[in-house]
Amino acid sequence: MDSWSIPINPVPLTFEQAEAMAQRQIKKHHVAIMLLHWFNAIVWLLELATGAALISSPHFRIAPVWYIAIVQGFFGSRAHMLWFHIALGITWIVVFTVYGTFGFRTYLAREVLEREIALDWDDLVWLRVRLLRILGRSNEPLPPQGIYNAGQKLFALLVYAMIPIIMLTGLVMAFHLVSTSLVAWAVVLHFVAVGLVASGLMIHVYMGAVFPEEKPAFFSMITGTVNELYAYRHHFKWWKDVKMQEREWKQEMEGGGGNATPEDRSPAAVEGPELADDVALPRRGLGGVLHQAFRMPEYWPPYVAGVGLGLTLLAAFILMGEGLGASGGFTRYLVAFISWVAPTYVARNPYWNEYAQPGQSPLISFLVFELIGVAVGGFVSGWLAHRLRITVDKGPRVSARGRYALALLGGVLTGYGARLARGCTSGLALSGGAVLAAGAWAFMMAVFAAGFIGAYFVRRYWI
Amino acid sequence: MSAPFFPQFSQTTYLAVSLLLGFFFGFFLERAGFSSAKKLTAQFYFKDFSVLKVMFTAIVVAMLGIAYLAAAGRLDMSQVYVPLTFLWPQIAGGLLLGAGFIIGGY
Repeated sequence: MDSWSIPINPVPLTFEQAEAMAQRQIKKHHVAIMLLHWFNAIVWLLELATGAALISSPHFRIAPVWYIAIVQGFFGSRAHMLWFHIALGITWIVVFTVYGTFGFRTYLAREVLEREIALDWDDLVWLRVRLLRILGRSNEPLPPQGIYNAGQKLFALLVYAMIPIIMLTGLVMAFHLVSTSLVAWAVVLHFVAVGLVASGLMIHVYMGAVFPEEKPAFFSMITGTVNELYAYRHHFKWWKDVKMQEREWKQEMEGGGGNATPEDRSPAAVEGPELADDVALPRRGLGGVLHQAFRMPEYWPPYVAGVGLGLTLLAAFILMGEGLGASGGFTRYLVAFISWVAPTYVARNPYWNEYAQPGQSPLISFLVFELIGVAVGGFVSGWLAHRLRITVDKGPRVSARGRYALALLGGVLTGYGARLARGCTSGLALSGGAVLAAGAWAFMMAVFAAGFIGAYFVRRYWI
Repeated sequence: MSAPFFPQFSQTTYLAVSLLLGFFFGFFLERAGFSSAKKLTAQFYFKDFSVLKVMFTAIVVAMLGIAYLAAAGRLDMSQVYVPLTFLWPQIAGGLLLGAGFIIGGY
């Protein structure tokens, strides 16, 4: 391909073009990065090998006993093996610290992270299409990728997030820092963080060493270069950047003259649609992703929101010893109101006086304050995404008045049902479901059964 | 010190943590689209299974975390509230709530 015409989007290549491109090499990795990569690979291999053998508790042992015996035998004793694991880990921390300190601008500066690990809109589409293609459910073309594809970026994000945790927890465990309970927490965190990286590592190693299409990526970690055809096909946006830079450099060498007219030097002169179109595309880089995630009116993909919700629920169990809820909180508001109007009635009613202990307001409770947080959190989320509006959320064939009446009827049934079951969709189905309460699962199935059956009878109000 | 941590909280911390957990609860529910009755009811017409996906993802994530921490001895399950089972009231309540859900939209 003539280096003077750089397409904005990938175009089919002629055989000659492809042949020529396959011969040309582009530099991808600096030698310092390649050294770090292989150093890191060796450390991971040895740390995983010894780490797996160090886990002796029968609850968590992941390696078979004979494996532990072999590794332990190799080191002579468990103490020696532990010493090796710690010494290598500290070496690893020191090397990374040196790289991070002296190479901060090369490896950790904002622009580098935006280019190498921040997912942009194309990347999110790429992840979806890639997954569907693996499952054989789609033939869509993959969107063009930067120097690293979205899968590599996702793995990098995981690694960047987990490495500090692994290092810190490792140090806490090795030197028994602060307190025994902190060490105990460090053990579980260390294990989870390593487990997450190791699961990504399996894909990383498979892609690099086995997957035929990605062979050039593997060799680029040895030679530092990839051929242009591979760059064009797999990392088009990066290829384009390299070509643009090359052209600028060439033009400068030719003193701005040569065949190129002055307009040719601006990026807008590249072949195909005007580059000005770029403005209309979603913003790139870290800011673009955050913008897309928090400010755009689309809802989050259900599995992403679900992980967020699940972690919040887990945090509730860890911190408060119970899950999230809703109807219990409303009950407390009601009890507070009724005991203000008719305290003796509440005192005589066994269902209500459970919530109104003498000397303690029914409002000083987890769910009561949690509900205030829910309102604020929901409002902030909607406000960020420009979703705030006053509207009647209803089906197309029902009047606003009709919708209000139905909402009231539905609310009465929901409220009565929730208190009869001692919990609602949040407090019983979600929180009880997570701790495998039998009643919670029965309740959940009943909710869905009634919902699916009832849907038929009220279909004209919704669709 | 193993979880749950609430016995160590002062009253102010306890209420602040409640508010904060609620904030994230509300935030993620809104992010998932659960503030829209039309989106919620769409699952019962086989149009949008976000509710099921979000709910079961959340349950699985929390369940794995709880199981892991409990097995590691970091979470004292005797201190964790597990809803009691009253089978028939809970099935009846679930049926009523499900019917109210599809009629009222939430």
